[in-house]
Amino acid sequence: MSDENKSCPPPSGNEPEVTRSAAPMWIIVTTLVLLFLGGLYFDRHSGWFNQNVYAPYTSAKQLDAFQPRSGAAAARARGKAVYESVCGICHGPDGLGKLGQAPPLAGSEWVDAKGFNRLSHIPLMGLNGAIKVGGKEWTLSMAAMGAALPDDDLAAVLTYIRSSWGNKASPVTSDDIKKIRASLGPAKAMTSDELMALPE
Amino acid sequence: MKTGFSVFLAVFVTIGASWCGLVLAPALQLGGAKQETILNGTDTYPLQPTGAATLGLQVYRANACAACHTEQACQTGVVCEISLTGLGVYQPADFKAFVRSLFVLPELASYTNAIGASINNWSGELPKPILITADKKIATEMADRLKAVGVKSEMNILATGPDIARGWGIRQSVAADYLYAQPVQLGSLRAGPDLSNIGVRVPDAGLLLKHLFAPGSVTKDSTMPAFRHLFEVRKIGSAPSPDALNLTGKFAPPTGYEVVPTTDAKYLAAYLQSLKANAPLVEAPFTP
Repeated sequence: MSDENKSCPPPSGNEPEVTRSAAPMWIIVTTLVLLFLGGLYFDRHSGWFNQNVYAPYTSAKQLDAFQPRSGAAAARARGKAVYESVCGICHGPDGLGKLGQAPPLAGSEWVDAKGFNRLSHIPLMGLNGAIKVGGKEWTLSMAAMGAALPDDDLAAVLTYIRSSWGNKASPVTSDDIKKIRASLGPAKAMTSDELMALPE
Repeated sequence: MKTGFSVFLAVFVTIGASWCGLVLAPALQLGGAKQETILNGTDTYPLQPTGAATLGLQVYRANACAACHTEQACQTGVVCEISLTGLGVYQPADFKAFVRSLFVLPELASYTNAIGASINNWSGELPKPILITADKKIATEMADRLKAVGVKSEMNILATGPDIARGWGIRQSVAADYLYAQPVQLGSLRAGPDLSNIGVRVPDAGLLLKHLFAPGSVTKDSTMPAFRHLFEVRKIGSAPSPDALNLTGKFAPPTGYEVVPTTDAKYLAAYLQSLKANAPLVEAPFTP
């Protein structure tokens, strides 16, 4: 090392030094313009990091517009799906019930009723003891199967059973369920008489 | 080095920025992904794969299937299809006249020819698709017009793109499809077809196994190598094995012999059968 140093020419006194100097204006302007364009592109195509937005969709709003739904039809499909996975096991996919297990829903005066207040209490609170359905006495107990369902799912399934298999009662909305849920007493399976004491 | 600290800072920021973009942001975005509910249904997606399918993924990996096969279907667009389901009080002829009367609407101008052609030779069978458009507003407008005159229609959402047209999938692959893949076998070369939806396209395990043993026996002129090491050609014992492949012609083993898949081959087939990216999801909507 020391030999090499010796062979170096002596410092001449005007060695170039690292200095600071302003970047050329055009670089700054080009960078800013590119940043701006990039920002525009990001805003239009990124979906703002929403994990559900994939190309070709460019925003959550556009994705939402393309969700296949058409009002009543979609709610009915949802109601049917919930019914078949939650209620249909006992009440049957045809709503005819199961002898010794669950009363029928098709043609039942509890389901196909003018109001849905009493009906809504059954999945929300559960039912215990004797109940008369279609002129026949059933003595069985049902757990509060609907208590854990979201409002819109419960509304969809109640609408479904009230409008299927020949039943022709009015639909139930999720706001109705919300109101009924808010008015519930302590969780305890109800009896037929308690239900009858409620307004229809 | 006078500028040592600045250099360190610049390097730190550069590496830090790419770490944020490539590691942190995806982790924040998709790190919490879990099973979800399919659109308009109660089933969860994706289902936890069976043990055989989980082991099969490792066989898939060991045999470098991802070198020639991808597991990602692409989608380049989405369209709304208006399909008639009921004509109400109309006869097909009246309905054609009604649709023609819609042609004066300026917003339908660019679709007029397509709609006209779709009902020209139509004799009234339902459901009947009459309009396919990527413009949701036009589709909604059309559906509203039809509803207003008592005609029943459905709006179907369909994914489009070359992969969908090839029948490789119904929708694009999304992160949820890979929830249980460890590691994810995306692949990048398509010497063979995409496999993201193979479990739906080829539900028959026997056919998959035959294809693995002798690709030519299932797909003529297949360029896929035969994976014979996953099978055992052996003398038929006291009775033929129930697992033996049903091979004929030049692919058949010599008389008195049978081709039996090893457990690895069975796992691989179970894995391929588990590849079903066919559920409509919020992030990849379509009308099934």
